Amino acid sequence: MENQNRDTYRFQVNLSGMINILSNHLYSSPKVFLRELLQNGIDAITARQAYSPDGYEGKIHIEVSGTSTGATLLVEDNGIGLNEAEIHEFLAMIGQSSKRGEDFLSTNTSFIGRFGIGLLSCFMVSDDIVMVTQSAKGGPALEWRGKPDGTYTIRKLEGQYAPGTKVFLRCKEGSEAYFEEGNLQEWLFHYGALLPYPIQLVSDHTTRLINSQSPPWVKDPQLARKHQGEVLAFGKQVLGETFRDFIPLHTTSGRTGGIAFILPQAVNLNAKRNHRVYLKHMLVSEAASNILPDWAFFVKCLIWTDELQPTASREHFYENAQLEQVREELGNSIRQELMRMAEYDPDRLQSVISLHALSMKALAVEDLSFYSIIHEWLPFESTFGRKPLGELKQHPPLYFTATLDEYRQITHVASAQSMLVVNGGFIYDAELLSQLPLVDPDVETERLLPEEVSLSFTDITPQERLDYYESVRLADSVLQKFRCQVQLRRFKPEEIPVLYTLSEESAQWRILEATKEVSTDALSSVLGSLGTTLKDAAYATLYFNLNNPVIERAFHPAHQKMLPSIIEMLYCNALMMGHYPMNRQEIALLNKGIIQFIDWGLTASHVTGGDE
Amino acid sequence: MNFTEMSFDDLMEEAYGLPGGKAKLELLEQAVRVADAAGDIDQGYEARSEIVELGSFHGYPMKALVAFSWQLGQYDKNPGRFDDYSLMWSYKWVLDRISAFAEISRVQIENLLEDMKTRFAAEGYSSRTYHYYRAKLLADFGELDASEAEWDIVQSMERDEMSDCEACEQHGLVEFLAKRNEDEKTVKAAEPILKGRMTCGEVPHVTITKVLFPLLRLGRQSEADKLQKKGYKLVKGNRDFLYHQGEHIGYLTLTDPIKALEVFEEYIASSLDHENPVDQMIFNAYSAKMFRRLAEESIRFQVKLPAGHPCEHQSGEVESLAKHFQQLALATAEKLDKRNGNAYYTTLLQQL
Repeated sequence: MENQNRDTYRFQVNLSGMINILSNHLYSSPKVFLRELLQNGIDAITARQAYSPDGYEGKIHIEVSGTSTGATLLVEDNGIGLNEAEIHEFLAMIGQSSKRGEDFLSTNTSFIGRFGIGLLSCFMVSDDIVMVTQSAKGGPALEWRGKPDGTYTIRKLEGQYAPGTKVFLRCKEGSEAYFEEGNLQEWLFHYGALLPYPIQLVSDHTTRLINSQSPPWVKDPQLARKHQGEVLAFGKQVLGETFRDFIPLHTTSGRTGGIAFILPQAVNLNAKRNHRVYLKHMLVSEAASNILPDWAFFVKCLIWTDELQPTASREHFYENAQLEQVREELGNSIRQELMRMAEYDPDRLQSVISLHALSMKALAVEDLSFYSIIHEWLPFESTFGRKPLGELKQHPPLYFTATLDEYRQITHVASAQSMLVVNGGFIYDAELLSQLPLVDPDVETERLLPEEVSLSFTDITPQERLDYYESVRLADSVLQKFRCQVQLRRFKPEEIPVLYTLSEESAQWRILEATKEVSTDALSSVLGSLGTTLKDAAYATLYFNLNNPVIERAFHPAHQKMLPSIIEMLYCNALMMGHYPMNRQEIALLNKGIIQFIDWGLTASHVTGGDE
Repeated sequence: MNFTEMSFDDLMEEAYGLPGGKAKLELLEQAVRVADAAGDIDQGYEARSEIVELGSFHGYPMKALVAFSWQLGQYDKNPGRFDDYSLMWSYKWVLDRISAFAEISRVQIENLLEDMKTRFAAEGYSSRTYHYYRAKLLADFGELDASEAEWDIVQSMERDEMSDCEACEQHGLVEFLAKRNEDEKTVKAAEPILKGRMTCGEVPHVTITKVLFPLLRLGRQSEADKLQKKGYKLVKGNRDFLYHQGEHIGYLTLTDPIKALEVFEEYIASSLDHENPVDQMIFNAYSAKMFRRLAEESIRFQVKLPAGHPCEHQSGEVESLAKHFQQLALATAEKLDKRNGNAYYTTLLQQL
């Protein structure tokens, strides 16, 4: 039936193209149409509050009826409403926005402009959108009906309507899930949990309130301390994880606040940081990563703000001076709390550190004053086990290795001598250990090189020196061509026959030599030149343990004939055990040695008939 | 943590999760050992690719060079087995840093440059990248006129897939003009970068320090101060930028020497295990200059030095520290000059 008041206009943009852009490129999922409708409602309520503040209470009413493709959804607000000029305006804005590209959403914050884009997003789930609106400023009520082919109609309605806007959506094929009651409840809470106006969801059977009254600690995060149970329950409801502890976040401006929930499990340094951020009470991002400093990867946050600018996708924030300041202040909230714990609640700190030492260390490296307060609780791996630094520093001087490789070379021997050595090889550790004297002037730390472990070895007696003189000289000459010297000592544990240590230069030189053998001529020559400097500084030592019965026998003058082969084999074995690259000469040595020992073994068993 | 018992995949996975630095390098080196012990060339190649990148961009250029040498050797021995493009691209990283090692002769470097040229030609790339690196290396050798001639060739040629990004190339030009002490031209060439029209992973980080001294000399200190703060944030905490951290010390020595000392204290530790001799030289030279400047003050300074530093017990004597760092810098400069056959670096240090 034709209506006289009905005029037909055309969108100034290719609407289906626009919808395609929205759904495929801008929004992560069609369900954001709910966020957009909620946002429109909130914006309308805010505008109405400014227009006529007295005795007004905003609310949002949502009703779903019917099932599958027969389902309809009504979203109603009692906000400012639109008049005809404004309807045309927002549609015109959409036309403009297409020329300005994606930036439109982030730069245009006017109510009208956003409204149109929000409404358009509904085409992702519906082919039939009807909006009935009554402006609080007067004029007739209007019905707007939009089709995805780019046409729309506006009709003036008869009669009296209360100010506000109703949007009716009819479910489009394939979008049934977005009209399903349970989903609606979940998603509305997801986006609107912190909205300061009540949202009501009505279905054929029930009426329920989506969001409870905005909790007091949203206004003042410090109040969260007094509502611990409630805050943790809210965290579980919103983030879906069970937390045991949290830190309130706030900035001096009071425009950004939040709760940093301490993750109940240890996390990797590269774990994705997914903080949930609400902008002007509405969820904008579930994956904001740049709102906290890098070191704060042990918390998952709920953050609310009204001062940051979202990117076009509204999932992150523009990296600008304001964000930088907010990030620093939020980081500071966490840092202050941890430092307070160190002073007043060490048990609580202990439980944080037991899971999140890495995060604490990342901050400590950046911030000496933090390190100074917290250092006693930070755990380090050592030959005495994994212990907090406060305990380790009771054994001065505190020796540490700078690398895992060095620690690996000496750990067995150092443990056996009851020598405390801290492993500085894992990330941040060596740096922190070398800075320890700066935060505690009474502690001396010293980097230990593998060859220095030998300082705790027992020298052989002058008589032994005399007895083994020839054998040691012979052994030394065997390994000379590998730039490795031989030392005879006594050390624990006696099961270890030899200990191979090498300097950093030596390790590097070995790699260089081995690489020369596979590389191209031009590069091999370059490596050769680099090697000359390294070679001068490169030395390795093979310590033979006289406490070991086999070594004692091997060095006995009676076995001088076998000694070179024994030395060579133990040397090759040490290289292999340490995963050091072996050059051709060394591999040849190993092959020759094995054959030699098989030969000796067969000869011996042949003579004795297989019995000792 | 049971480092020695970890499998290749575990090591690589753990390494991928770490930021660039010593801990990551160690995991990758262990992965190489595991792969080599098993004789697995593909795994050895994969782990070394990571070492080349990490070494190039986090202060271990020698490790990068060695790993790359192995890769190139295997690449030639196993035609078609490995990706050409990424290996050829890493060749540029290696050449970019190779002149820093005074032990490597000019002939050896020339040979590598020619080798790269031949390989690029065989893959169908133009010789523009060859001239680009030749310009860079000649400037490194202190032969600025010869370098400029190469720059002219570069600018007359079309870019291709092997060209550095435009921001990097523009930075290269800024750097060259700064070496020429052409203050106004330097600032002008840096403009598109400073205005944010050209950026990449390292630009404007590395460009900003190049214009600080020119701006100061041109009487535009307030601009320079602002840029210094911005630039410092970009290079903060990343050991790849030791050279530029040194330049920040140099600039702050002139404008805010106490702040310069703070920057020094923050990076002295990472400078010690840095593998690039030229970056260390610049850091040490500017540090020496800063200590000479501090010596003029009447207050006594207590300098924070990392445990085990050779000057640990002279931390209150800025004059001795100035001498120590000057000597270190000079020793490197002399070696480089000897290789290059001129007095470029010793002169440069005197003029800092």
